[in-house]
Parts: sequence; C-alpha cells; structure tokens
Amino acid sequence: MDIQSYISSGKLELFLLGELTEREREEVLSLAMMHPEIQKELDELEETMFSFDNMTGVAPSQEVKDKIFSTLENEFILKEAPKPTAAPADTKVVPIGSPWKPFAIAASIAAIVASGAAFYYADKYQKRNDQFTALLQDQSVMADNLNQVKQEFEEADSRLDKFVAGDFKRIEMKGEGFDMQKDARVDVLWDQNAQEVFIAVNNLNDLSDDLDYQLWAIGDDGPVGIGLVNSGEKLTLQQMQAVAQAGAFAITIEPKGGSKSPTLEKLVVLGEVA
Amino acid sequence: MEEVQLIAGLRAKDRKTTEYLYDKYSRALYAVISRIVFDKDIAEEVFHDSFVKITRKIERYDESKGRLYTWMANICRNSAIDKLRSKEISQSGKTNTIDDFVYGMESQSGTQEQIDGIGVKELMIELNDDQKFIVEYIYFKGYTHSEVSEEFDIPLGTVKSRVRAAIQVLKKNVARI
Repeated sequence: MDIQSYISSGKLELFLLGELTEREREEVLSLAMMHPEIQKELDELEETMFSFDNMTGVAPSQEVKDKIFSTLENEFILKEAPKPTAAPADTKVVPIGSPWKPFAIAASIAAIVASGAAFYYADKYQKRNDQFTALLQDQSVMADNLNQVKQEFEEADSRLDKFVAGDFKRIEMKGEGFDMQKDARVDVLWDQNAQEVFIAVNNLNDLSDDLDYQLWAIGDDGPVGIGLVNSGEKLTLQQMQAVAQAGAFAITIEPKGGSKSPTLEKLVVLGEVA
Repeated sequence: MEEVQLIAGLRAKDRKTTEYLYDKYSRALYAVISRIVFDKDIAEEVFHDSFVKITRKIERYDESKGRLYTWMANICRNSAIDKLRSKEISQSGKTNTIDDFVYGMESQSGTQEQIDGIGVKELMIELNDDQKFIVEYIYFKGYTHSEVSEEFDIPLGTVKSRVRAAIQVLKKNVARI
C-alpha cells in the first residue's frame, strides 16, 4: 500500500479527533503497528495537537482545581506518593515512617489480595477445565453413538431401497415336520434376479456356544451353505450369501462355524420355493 | 514522568500522580473545552466533570487504542460538544470563532494570561481562509468533519484534506515557537 498517501489522506487527524468509526480506528491502529512511518506521524500529530492546545489555552482557575481535588479526595488510595526522583543509585535503608511506608503497605496488601485472587481463580479455572474436559468426553461418546446410529440407519435405508425396488419372494420355513423344534419358524426373502437373500428369525431356540444354525439353499447341485443364522436377532433382517437358483431353503444345526454339507439328522426348518 | 508510569499511578489512585497529570495537562484540556464552550463558568464546570471522569475511567483506558492525551482530549471535547448542544447553552445563542477566542484571551486581566495568549494569533495567522474555516468549525464549534461536509456542501474528501493541511500548518508553527 502507499503509506505516504495514507498518511496524507487526513485519516490520522480524524483518528486523533475521535471521529472515526470503530472499524476505521482498528484499521489505523493495525497499520500504525505495521508501518513505523504511520506511528511516527500519529505521534507527531498528537504532539502538535497537545502543543497547540497547551499554547493556546489558559490555566483553569485555582478554584476549579481545588474543587476537582476535593471531589477526588475520597477516591485516592495513595494519598502520599513517593518522590519521583528516588534514584536506585543512592539506595539506603528506609527508616520506618518514611513516605515509602504507606506505599509499601498498600503494595503488600495489593500483593496479598492479588495472590488470594490468583489462587481463587486458579481453582475456579481448574474446576471449569475439568467440567469442560468431561463435557468434551460426553460429546465424543455422543458423536460415536450418533455415527453408529447413522450407519445402522444407512444400512436399514439401503435394505428398504432394495425391498422397494426389488422383487422379493417370501419363503416360510417351518419346523412342524421335524423332531428338532416343532414351533420353529424362519422366513427367507429372496430376490431371484438380484440373487439377494435375507432371513427373518421368527422363532428359534437358543443354542449352546459350540453350535450354530446354518442356512442352506437347496438347488440342482444339492445344498449349498449360505451363511450362519443368528438366532438371537429375532424379527430383524439378516443378509445371507447370494443365491441364483434354489428349489428350497433349510436350516440345520452344525458345529460352531458351520459345515461343508448339512447334517440332515439335525434339520430344524425347511421351506420350499413356490 | 513516562506515560506508562503516569497511567500506572492513576490506576493506583495515587494523589501525587493525579496532581502531576493536572499540572501537565489541565491547560491543554481546558483549552479544548473553552474554545467550544465560551462561557468561563460553564467551561470550568465541564472541565471539572471531564477531569473527574478521566481519573475514574482510567481503568477502562486501553493503551493499545491510542495515546493518553488523545483519549483525554476526546473525553473533554465530547463533553464540551454535549454541553454546547444541550439547551442550556444553545439558548444563549453564543457562537464561537477564532477571533472571539483570541480576543477573549487578550481581554482577560493578569500578565499570566497575556503571556499564555501570545502564541494563538501567530499559530493561526498562516492558515488560509479554507483552513481557518475548518479549524473554526472543527476545533472551535465542535463540528465533526461529516457535519461540516453536509452543512456547507463540501465533499468529505476535501474536508479531510483541509483538516490535514490546517494541522500541518499548526504543526510547523508549533515547532517554530
């Protein structure tokens, strides 16, 4: 920027006259900080204004001075000030009762009060800080929860899309014809075009930890294992592996992790594709 | 006394520092007021209130926002303008001009005041008419630059550059005297 033309714009004079808006004042101050020429001009202008005021003015009357100091009398904390000429070179032991004493006392009191305040606020700060940290932790837990919910929602939403858009066939698998669990019932939802399979467990007994339910798609090539069934998740949709061709679906109980071929003695439910 | 010490002393409510402030600045600050408020009694009342305000508001003075004298002069100037525009004075119909001010000072009795007033004419004599006009309205009548611009139909930029030019003349004269 052109510093000289900024200086000669008249803005600095208006700054000193108190006529700039807050935003313009900020601008002058920050430019003065960046450019010593501007700061120098500002200082000189202030000096000029002071000299002009000082040279053209007359002293206010003694009465107004007395009045001012009687108005302020009760507000002075240091009524007796130290001599401004006290040089550190001729430092000597300060006798009790010297003009320094009230100053020293006041300074000590101020120091004590300030330390007290410092401890008080440090403690307050610490407490606030702890609260803040706790809030941050809460917030991060909530954010995690939210993320999880969001993910679940997105899964559910995409499933819903599939159901709305797809052509799903519902195959009811029942346990009525078998010895294992007469009242067992699991539904298979199958979109033959998209080859997608979901199951919804309606009723299945819980198994011991070393066993799993396994779903089979029985087609022209015999039964193919298409995934393990979680019997705990009742009435929610569980996506299984893709199946293009099947005449029936069945669930057997297998050792943990499933088997390559079904243990037919432990057939729990079966449903034929209509 | 350095400005930093002065401010610290004022904040500590130290009487001696306040006296120092008074001795160093009362004349200039009173000049700021009395060239706007011409009546001596009212000017002194405004000065009293302004000076008391300065010592009370020193806590809120922010060194990073400008120097001490500018801050104090603006408090005085604003109080004077407020007073000038209050009913109390406007009814008296008094208008201030540089000549009134100079004349007023010269007419006051006492050698001290006569000596005080010596520089005024010299300081302002080199101002051209435009600059004199600006100084009169901004310094003596308490107008803002935008009020001068509006009332006398002078472009804002011209007012600004005249303010600048006038103060440059004053700067030169102040340095010379």
